[in-house]
Formats: sequence, structure tokens, C-alpha cells
Amino acid sequence: MNRLERFAMVLCLVSPLAAQAEEREALTVVSWGGAYEESQRIAYFDPFERAVGARIAVERYNGGLNGLRAELADGETDWDVIDLLSTDARTGCREGLLAPFDPAILAPAPDGTPAERDFIDGALLSCAVVQLVFSTVIAYDERAYPGEKPQSVADFFDVERFPGKRALKKAPEAMLEWALLSYGVPRSQIYDLLSTQRGMDLAFRRLDAIRDHIVWWEDAATPAALLTSGEVAMASGYNGRFFDARISGNAPISIIWDGQLLDYNAWAIPSGADQPDLAKEFIRFATRPDRMAAQARHIPYGPSRRSARRRIGFHPETLTPMREQLPTAEHRMGTAIWQDSEWYARTARLRRRLFKAWLEDDSTSAAQR
Amino acid sequence: MSPFYRIVVLTLISISIGALAAFAAIGFVDAAAWVNDRLLVAPRARVLYQDRPLLVAAATILVPPLGGLFVGLALWRLSARKRPLGPADAIVSVQTRTPLPSFRDGLVSTGAAIVSLGCGASVGQYGPMVYLGAMFGELAGRLKLGIAHLQGVCIGCGVAAAISTAFNAPIAGLVFAHEVILRHYSLRAFAPTTVASATGYVVANVFFQREPLFVVTFGGVEHSFEFLLFALEGVLCAFVAIGFMRLVLYCGRLAQATRLPQAVRPMLAGLAVGLVALELPEVMGIGAEALRFATIEGAFSPVELAVLVVAKIALTALCIGFGFSGGVFSPALLIGILFGALFGTLLSLVVPLASSGLVVYAICGMMALASPVIGAPLTTIVIVFELTRNYALTVAAMVSVVFANLVAFRLFGRSLFDAQILARGYDLALGRDGAMLAHARLADHMVVDFPVCRAEATMGTVRRNMRERDWESTFVTDEAGRYVGTLATRDVLESDPGRSAGEAAVRCPVVFDETTSIREAMDSLKNFVGDAAPLVASSDGRLLGVVPEAVVIGAYLDISNELRREENESA
Repeated sequence: MNRLERFAMVLCLVSPLAAQAEEREALTVVSWGGAYEESQRIAYFDPFERAVGARIAVERYNGGLNGLRAELADGETDWDVIDLLSTDARTGCREGLLAPFDPAILAPAPDGTPAERDFIDGALLSCAVVQLVFSTVIAYDERAYPGEKPQSVADFFDVERFPGKRALKKAPEAMLEWALLSYGVPRSQIYDLLSTQRGMDLAFRRLDAIRDHIVWWEDAATPAALLTSGEVAMASGYNGRFFDARISGNAPISIIWDGQLLDYNAWAIPSGADQPDLAKEFIRFATRPDRMAAQARHIPYGPSRRSARRRIGFHPETLTPMREQLPTAEHRMGTAIWQDSEWYARTARLRRRLFKAWLEDDSTSAAQR
Repeated sequence: MSPFYRIVVLTLISISIGALAAFAAIGFVDAAAWVNDRLLVAPRARVLYQDRPLLVAAATILVPPLGGLFVGLALWRLSARKRPLGPADAIVSVQTRTPLPSFRDGLVSTGAAIVSLGCGASVGQYGPMVYLGAMFGELAGRLKLGIAHLQGVCIGCGVAAAISTAFNAPIAGLVFAHEVILRHYSLRAFAPTTVASATGYVVANVFFQREPLFVVTFGGVEHSFEFLLFALEGVLCAFVAIGFMRLVLYCGRLAQATRLPQAVRPMLAGLAVGLVALELPEVMGIGAEALRFATIEGAFSPVELAVLVVAKIALTALCIGFGFSGGVFSPALLIGILFGALFGTLLSLVVPLASSGLVVYAICGMMALASPVIGAPLTTIVIVFELTRNYALTVAAMVSVVFANLVAFRLFGRSLFDAQILARGYDLALGRDGAMLAHARLADHMVVDFPVCRAEATMGTVRRNMRERDWESTFVTDEAGRYVGTLATRDVLESDPGRSAGEAAVRCPVVFDETTSIREAMDSLKNFVGDAAPLVASSDGRLLGVVPEAVVIGAYLDISNELRREENESA
């Protein structure tokens, strides 16, 4: 309570200063761009600017911690708030890149439920607070498959039945899980098997089969664009982007929900941030249930607060009921895999090494062909 | 006792045992997994430290032997039996109606099993879990509730619940308790074990939401000739199983023969596991990952499969023989699935015929190899069905299992358990009454009030004494009370009254001592002379009592009738 009171005092002090906001330095929020950033602008950035009077400058990145490491090379940064994957939040915390997070700054739910109980389990990390659940999925271009539609992860690796280019993120993520899944490995054993050399070998052997059909992407907006333009027939990507491309861009994109990989995004403050107090104020604002629900109306990512989930309504333009579009909707959880962020954080170097070796080692597959 | 009372009491007891055994089983599995994670035995834990290969290698070599030392010391210092306990002990207890080893010994054995599994010894988890269930059953069986044959029923309940929880397979738990532990199907036992088994299932599914243990997808057997191949695979598996069981027994004898202190024996086996695991990490522990890989085409090369089968057989035999605490069923499952995968892979290379894929051969091998080891064909068939929920797969596995059991039964015997029990002196192949009679002491039934005279007494005195008794014979002892011979009425009447009893007495061809069992007495009935045979102290030959023929037959009938009653009881 003590901290809360102090925080309330800070708020009281800040509010009268709103008039002088023009002179204040902007709050730098680092996020992912595209339709996702747009939804954040509508739900968080603009209302925050109006309420507090501080200006928000958005920097764009593609995930990972290299950018933050570079920023912090001289010990300080003008990055104030980062929207990052929970895996990166764990690693960044361990490496001291992120400031410890104090859950006392979070607002309670409107019905008075304390934030600790309103957030889903495991949302409060030591250096970050989980704000949403997103999903990495496979989507396909309807025009590429006018007849039989691909339905499973195994179909993604089957270039004979479902010919066409595949777009994959150029990082050892998701594809490893999907490769094992395509052998019939049950969800609960995926990470145990990927922890063995044999499991990794099997996964990369599966990728060998589609090696010549892969188009790599790095920017989260690319896969939807590749599908829309018809450059690839199937692509991995984030469910919200594909949704947006179909709803707002009228692109004929369908999502294969089989084997969807659920993961969390979290808000964190870099350890050398120059405006830590304003950053905390922003996180408190952006994790308010009504704000979270507002974002979920624009892009189908599941808020990490129970009270926010209950407030999600229709998409403002198409009137799609957005709660059913969330990756965590009941009917989509049957084959979902929760990405194991602890495993991801600890195997980062191993995965990168194996992936690099696989990319360079074109000879084996050439010999097999 | 009214049937209503019995039904209510048995229901409450079976629910309590079922719940206790189920929680204990889940706790056991979680504890072993927790130790696996902490000691870098689980692949998932090892990969987290892949940046420090020396640490992982050191853990691989050191953890199993140190665990072995701990297990050896714990069993040696804390357990009265000084050895791990398992299903064989539960079987003996139920079959011969003797109490289980003490609860304390059971706890020590269970703790040792958690350490064994946790440190990556090549042993199984189901044996200790079965015993854990039996321990809770035994506790309940000691209650004085006025219900006959409660102990066997209660142990059956505990075992059924443990298996039901462990495999998430309630029907298999029920069948296992009857097929392996109780070995009869009375309704009195059937109803409570079913309730306990269902309770275990509820605990595993409702409280803990355990996932099914082994999910495989299989479309069906595509060609009818493949059933011949399943049968052939079953026969081959029987030979591998026999080799495995012989090696386990041999390693046990070898360990005895080495004259090493008992406490350090498991350490040696652990060292062997650690060294092999440097090259073949799959040999450590339960090998859940290898079990899965075996169902994936191309995950192992045939050579790798063959090497793993041999290594796993040798290391499991070593670990069990040298005193790690743990079972044989999970290793048998792993050996079987690897062997099945090898069979399936070679088949596709050698025989130019289409087949239904690797999965079915792997699963057939797994079950066909494991079932003769535990002597439970029906249980293994039900386990396949409950684990995979796949009818086609179950029918295929059934064929392999049956042929494996046929061959192994002929060439080896019912199970490894029965062989271990035989080594302890109980021959269950004689039937349950045979085993009980072999361990019921004749001395408990002897008659101590019988006509006796000293060797120097004259026949006249003996004749006078005999008139006062109904007996047809008199037993003659020397001054120290040692048996000299028996005088029949005819001898006494016909001989000279001045002759001494010692001269006239004839030694009975059948002489028992306090170690004689009723079974041995039955076998020598035909040599009986007179109305009773003498029973003497084996140490000094003193006559302790006599055993009339009717007593032997009466004891035999008592035991047989009692067993028949137990095995035909209704609720």
C-alpha cells in the first residue's frame, strides 16, 4: 500500500504539470510496427497523450535483445518502455538489461479485484508484466489451393500435396516445434524431444524437405504481405497480422490453427531508461482493463487480465465479435502449444548455432536430392 | 456379519486405499521427475546447460554412481530386509497370506526407488509404485473389521489404484491386480479393486488432469498377412524377454558372488550407466524420449536400435541385480519398443512387402516383450487399449502378446516375479495351495500329549501303561529325551515282558523336525507306520511331539478349503 500511496502522490504531482507537456521530453516506446502498432496507437498511445499530456515517440524493432544491448552499451538509453516477448523479458532480466518490475504500480480491476489476482497466472515477471497472448500460426493463400485446403501442420511440410513457396521467419522459432509435430509427436512432449540432439536432428531433417521452397522473412508485417501478393502459398506469422490483412486489407488469407504456438508479450522498462517514472505511469495506463479491451477490439490478441477479456466487444469496422477471434478462444485451444519461454530463453544460443549450421549446410540436402 | 455391513465397509476402505495409493503414486512420479531435473538427468534439464558441456558430462558420470551409493547405504542401514521391495513381495504376501515386510522397510525401499530413478539408474517406476500401493493396502488390511480375507483384498485395491493412476488406465489397474497379485476372481475382491481403480483414475484425471501417457496415431492394419508378422514378432520378443530375465537373475547371483559389501554394489552399476550414457544418453532412467522416438520412422538407424537394445538390457540387469531400487516393466517397455522398431525397420528392408508403418511394429514389440516379464498378457493388452484408445492397434498387439507369452511361459515360466519368488523358496507354479502348504509348519499342528516311555523300561511296564490309553503305539526316548523308536501294540503284546523297550522299539521310517512343512509331510504319508510319526528337534533329536496321519490331512484340508472359500466369495 505504501508504494501505491507514493505512486498516487506522484500522479497528483504529475497531473498539474500536464499543461507544460510541450516542454517535456517524449516517452519512447519500442514496439513492433504495422497493424499491431496501429492498435496500440488507438488503445494506448493517443489516449495516454491526451490524459497525461506527455508525447509518445514510437521506435520500431523486430524483437530480440540485440537492439537493447546496443542501446545500453553506454549505460543509458532514451528507450523508456519496451514491448517484448516474455522469453526476451526473462533473458533481459537475467542479463540486467531490464529494471526490476514493481507490480504495485498496476491498477486494480474496476470491481476492486487486486491486479495480482486479475492478471492470468504467471503474468507478473520479475522485470516485466505480461500484457497479451499472441499466437504464431501458419496461414495460407486461398487462391493457391482452390481445391483441398491445408489443415494441419503436417500439410505445411507436404509440398507434393500442397505445392507452393513457404514463408518462414528467419529464426529458429516455431518451425522446430512444427517440424516435430508433423511427425505425430504429442504437444506435451515437444520440448522434451527438442531438448535432445536426436529431436533437433529430426526437426531439421523435416525442414530439409522444404528447404528449396522457403522464403525467409524477418519483419512481422512481411508474411501477410507475401501471401497477399501471391509470392508464397503458405506463411508463418502472427495471428493478429493475418487477421488484419483479411479484415482491413481484404486479402484471401486463412489461418491453420493446428499447432498454433501461444506466447506472451510483456511491457518492461530498460534498466538505464531516462524517464522511468513516466514509463511506469504508461504501463499502469496501458494495463488498465478498458485499454486492453480496446486494443483487443482492433487486433485479436488476448489481454492478460481477466477483467479485460470480459470487456472485449466487436471490431469497430467489420463488427466481428473479437472474443471469438482470440487465439485463446475455447475452440482453438484443442491443438495449441504454449511456447515454453524458459526453454526458449535457455536454448537461444544452441538453437541459433544449429540453425546457422543448417542454413550453411546445403550440401547434405543437395546430396539427398 | 450382514452383507450390507460388508459392502459399506469394503466400499469405504477401497475408496480410501484408492485415493491414498493414487496420491502416493503421483507424488512418487513427481518426486523422481523433480530429482531428474535437479541432477541433469532429464534431457530438458541437460539442454539448459548445453553451454557447459563439462558440467553435463560430469553429471552424467557422477550422478548415477553417487545415487547408487546413497541407495546402497540407505537399504543397508535403514531396512531390515536390506533389499528393495517390489511386486514379488506383494505377490508372496497375498498368495501365502503372510504379512508384507514392515511399513518402514517399504518407505526405505520407496525412497531408494525415487533416488534410483532420480539419478538415472536404468530401472522402472511401476514396480515401486505397485509396492507403494500394496503398502497402503496392507495398512488397511490390518484393521479389525470382522471381514474375512481382508488383507488380500486391500493389497489388491492398493495395487489396482497405483497402476490405474500411473498409466491413467483404470481397467488395466483392475486386471493387473487380479492377474498378477490376487490370481483369482472372487466377487469379494473384484468389487473393491474396481472401486479403488476407479478412484485412482478420478484422482489422476480430475484432481491433477494428467495427460494420457502415450498417444500414438495409427490408421489401421492394412494387410491381413501382417498378423503373421505380429505373431513372429511376438515369438522373437519372447526370446529377447527370456534373455533379459535370465540376465537379471544372473546379475543378482553375480552380485552375491562378488563378496562386495552390499552398500557399494549399486554404485558399480551406476558407474556403468554413467559411462554408457556419455555415448548413449537414452539408457538413463525411464527413457520417455527414446520411447517416443522409436515410433518415428528414421529417428534411429537399425544399428543404433540394436546397440540400444543390448545396452538397455545389460544395464537394466546390472542395475536390478546390483541392488538399485526399481522395477523392470518400464525398461522392458523401452527395450520392447526399440526391438519392435528394429523389427519393423529391418522388415521394410528385407521383405519387399507393403506394411502398415513403423508404429504398429514398435507398439507390438513393446507389449510383447513386457508382458512375459511381468506375466500379465491380459493387463498388457488392456494397457495398449487404454493408452492408445486405438482398437486396430490393440488387436495387433494382442497377437504379439499372446505368442510371446506362450513361448516365454514354456521356456522360462510365468514371469520374472515368479522366478524371483522361487529363488526365495516359494514355488507358485505348484498352485497357491502348494506354496502355502510348503510354508505351513507341521510343528504347529503336532500332538504333544502322547504315550511315551524310557528306553530302559520293561515291556511289562509298557503293556500296563498302554492299557490306560487309546493309542496303538508308544514312543520310546532315551534319558535325554531323544527319540529312540516306536513300539506298536503288537510288538508289546508279543515280546518277552522282561525285554527293554529300547531293544524292542523300531525306528519310524518317517521322522519330522520343526522345519518340516505340511507339504513335505503329505509327500511322505505313504511311508507312515503306526498311528503317528515322531517330530524331533533338528538340533539334538529330542522328541517334541508326534503327528498322526489325520492331523496332516486335516491341516491340508483346512488350507485348501480356506483358499477355496476366499476365491469364491461373493460381495
